[in-house]
Amino acid sequence: MARNTYLKKVLGEDRLERLANTKVIMIGAGGIGCELLKDLLLSGYGEIHIVDLDTVTLSNLNRQFLFRKKDIDKSKSLTIAKAVQSFNYFNAKLVPHHGNIMDTTQFPLSWWDQFSFIYNALDNLEARRYVNKMALFLKKPLMESGTTGFEGQIQPIYPYYSECFDCQAKVTPKTYPVCTIRSTPSLPVHCITWAKEFLFHQLFDESESDLSNSETIQNETDDAQEIENLAQEANELIELRKSIKTTDASPFIEQLVLKIFKGDIERLLLIDTLWKSRKKPTPLDWSTYKAPVTGMLSDISNQSLLINDTKVWTVLENIYVLYKSGSILQRRIKSGKESFISFDKDDEDTLNFVAAAANLRSSIFNIPIMSKFDIKQIAGNIIPAIATTNAIISGFSSLNGTRYFKYNYDQTGSVDFTPISKESSTVFISIKPNKYITAAALVSPNEKCPSSSLLSRGVFQITEEQRQTLTLGELVEKLVKKYGYEEGDLSVIVGKSRLVYDIDFDDNVEKKLSEIGGIGDGELILVQDENDRLENLELYVKVTDEEREHVLPELKLRPKKSVGDDQSVETEEESGGDVEQVDGVVNENDAIVIIDEEDDGLVELDEPALKKRRIQVQSLA
Amino acid sequence: MSTEEQLTNDEIALYDRQIRLWGMATQLRLRSAKILIINLGGVGTEVVKNLVLGGINSIEILDDSVVKEEDYATQFFLPDDESVVGQLKLPLVIDRIKELNSLVELTTNTSSLVKIFDDPKYFQTFNLIVATELDKSTIEKLNGITRSFNIPLYVAGVHGMFGYIFTDLIKHVSVSEKDAGNQLKEANTKITRTKTITEVSYDEKTNKEKITVLDEFIPISEIWKSNKLPTLLNKRQMKRLSPAVPLTFALFDIKKPDDVEQDVDKQILAEQGQRVCTELGIPTTVISEDYLEVFSRQAFTEYAPVTAIIGGALAQDIIQFLSKKESPINNVLILDSTKSEMPIYAL
Repeated sequence: MARNTYLKKVLGEDRLERLANTKVIMIGAGGIGCELLKDLLLSGYGEIHIVDLDTVTLSNLNRQFLFRKKDIDKSKSLTIAKAVQSFNYFNAKLVPHHGNIMDTTQFPLSWWDQFSFIYNALDNLEARRYVNKMALFLKKPLMESGTTGFEGQIQPIYPYYSECFDCQAKVTPKTYPVCTIRSTPSLPVHCITWAKEFLFHQLFDESESDLSNSETIQNETDDAQEIENLAQEANELIELRKSIKTTDASPFIEQLVLKIFKGDIERLLLIDTLWKSRKKPTPLDWSTYKAPVTGMLSDISNQSLLINDTKVWTVLENIYVLYKSGSILQRRIKSGKESFISFDKDDEDTLNFVAAAANLRSSIFNIPIMSKFDIKQIAGNIIPAIATTNAIISGFSSLNGTRYFKYNYDQTGSVDFTPISKESSTVFISIKPNKYITAAALVSPNEKCPSSSLLSRGVFQITEEQRQTLTLGELVEKLVKKYGYEEGDLSVIVGKSRLVYDIDFDDNVEKKLSEIGGIGDGELILVQDENDRLENLELYVKVTDEEREHVLPELKLRPKKSVGDDQSVETEEESGGDVEQVDGVVNENDAIVIIDEEDDGLVELDEPALKKRRIQVQSLA
Repeated sequence: MSTEEQLTNDEIALYDRQIRLWGMATQLRLRSAKILIINLGGVGTEVVKNLVLGGINSIEILDDSVVKEEDYATQFFLPDDESVVGQLKLPLVIDRIKELNSLVELTTNTSSLVKIFDDPKYFQTFNLIVATELDKSTIEKLNGITRSFNIPLYVAGVHGMFGYIFTDLIKHVSVSEKDAGNQLKEANTKITRTKTITEVSYDEKTNKEKITVLDEFIPISEIWKSNKLPTLLNKRQMKRLSPAVPLTFALFDIKKPDDVEQDVDKQILAEQGQRVCTELGIPTTVISEDYLEVFSRQAFTEYAPVTAIIGGALAQDIIQFLSKKESPINNVLILDSTKSEMPIYAL
């Protein structure tokens, strides 16, 4: 009898042995992370690394069962690693990392290479996309997961064998036209956006609000009167901002209220075109509120309003809250401790200010007023989250991830994900009267996916010394020679969007790579064919100590296809919809390059779900 | 200060993310519920964790078992200490459970269930009972009592990669508000054999439908021999029916081996499985050799991801049941995680 009797029966001794000797990483230690780490530990993994940049907050405790009140404000990754020691029954080694997974200094490529499986437990698109990219670069299996309220899903990703995270377009948050927010709001969300992203931002935050960008405004309207009015409104706020440090609380807030809820509205009413088919706003009648607000301010018991999240405040109460929170914010700036203040849903002063301002604007535009609790959800982009959905999704995540170890994948030799991707599936929780979940077989990568298809990726390996001596011009020459760009007509972009070279921009060709910036260890270089003939190439810079010639990845760029080309593409013999042979060898110790040679084996878009493309994998010599 | 009708500011702050999902009214309903959980195995551990986090008023755990080495597969409240093997389990774990949420009242009872059956009034003090890992005769006895006292009963358990939830919630009315689709729902239509839409009201202004659903349940003793399964499945579905369905049923009639290393006898399992197929009215060919093999080995074993899924779905359904806003599982859920299937049958 032993602790692992059940595990042996369920997973088999071989797999258990493999798990005990494997190193995996879990990215994110929040709602899914707490549940997932528990499942991974109890599944017998030998070493688990945990990455999170966040700290524990009170509203985590309803579902993140490894955290306690005493842990509030502490690092999630460090706390979780300690918390699970109480049930680390199979003696896993836990390695927490407090940091941003996208930080290439803390987490360089070589660091990623040690893991045989990546578990995502993230809560944002940006990090998910980044990890997805790393998985594609290194050809590591990745388990993606996410939950919203009662719903959730997992997606196993076997790079180049199944769809990656970016193969399916993701819903981006809804945005509203600037003019709706600034001139003609009709919903509570318009007023909340105005209060948070324009008013608050313009008054207290570091830079100017995007909602005062004249270019954006001019793209939306050609009403000269409205454009001028919007500019004036914004400029006046900047003037008010200057007076934060010089005026006392009362005159400052009174000026503010008079401007934004009376002056600005009266001026807005003068633009007739806006009100032809809309109900006109009613400027705040300050004279009827001035005395009552002063009265409220003198009674300290009214302060309880500030912490009542569920009450819907009256207009008078909203003015009171604006006064209180506005003067606290003013004091914070005046004290000199903070040179600016950013909106944070968990910073009560900022939330009170935004809630009161949004409500006052709503009342002026005949829009319903909301409680602070409801405003917080919209202003803070809060997604409801519960323990049970996280528990179920983490269960499926670990279950399906652990399935991978059923096979004895030689981590240093050839990796053929065909069998595992054939028997894996995505799982969605969608509770129906006749079933609790829906599962779907994995699908081949999307031909149009920017991450895995129309882009080849590889590692550009270079020593520090070479980085100091090689010029950009020399690199461009090498790229042309290696990949066959026509007459050197290519562009080189570093970082998010900084162009450092194209045929008309040769200022940098004499510079050494180290002088250009953006070409350091862990950074990304994007190479584009200006003739649109070849697909894009993304290079991950890896600076090594190895004394050898710099290495560009061994790969053949595919011809670029434009949307609509797919129909004209000829199809070669389809072996009865069967899975085609996948060949090639990969040496994980070297940088990995994947070629998808589509020019000799194109398949139609509506192929059977499990049909694999022909994939040729080559190792770096 | 906590009052009957209102949540405190502290409660609102702690439960913020879930209140945003199910609203204050549901949170208040959770705060007034008293739940009994019978047996704290793998599923019991997950259910308790989820319900305590959710903010149930009070939970009593009834379990007279002692710690066994194999419990460490899933029961993460156990102290990591070999010397406790053989000791009563509940006193060793209760403090760790309490740490999860000080607002929930937790009590333990280490009497044996058999003894409590002699004095069934005990059950009457609870609004809802969850029983895990019981055999058939115990379930039927318990269900008889819950029926007589009108107490909803959930029954659940796992066998390695497989799990089940059976429900006898007697009768339940839920009112949900949803965005109206192209076709409005109609009153007096059946969703399943046991779920009926009894009332529909449509609000043109918000384009929302308020749908009242009546769930009626049968005693679990009738579920065993229900002949409804063939009527729920078309030919293709019948062909694809997971052998986990009859084999899960079969295991209720088989005793857990005393030696944990021991598998369930495959021959006995095959015979019981065939009997179940006949009772359910499905072809005996549903049961494949592969599944017999896997089930005989994995019967009564616990695997953390599976207990998490069953415990999660179970706690979730209890919350939905208490909220009166959603229609609960009615009446059999089977998880086959090897096929990523989790069907619900109205048997």
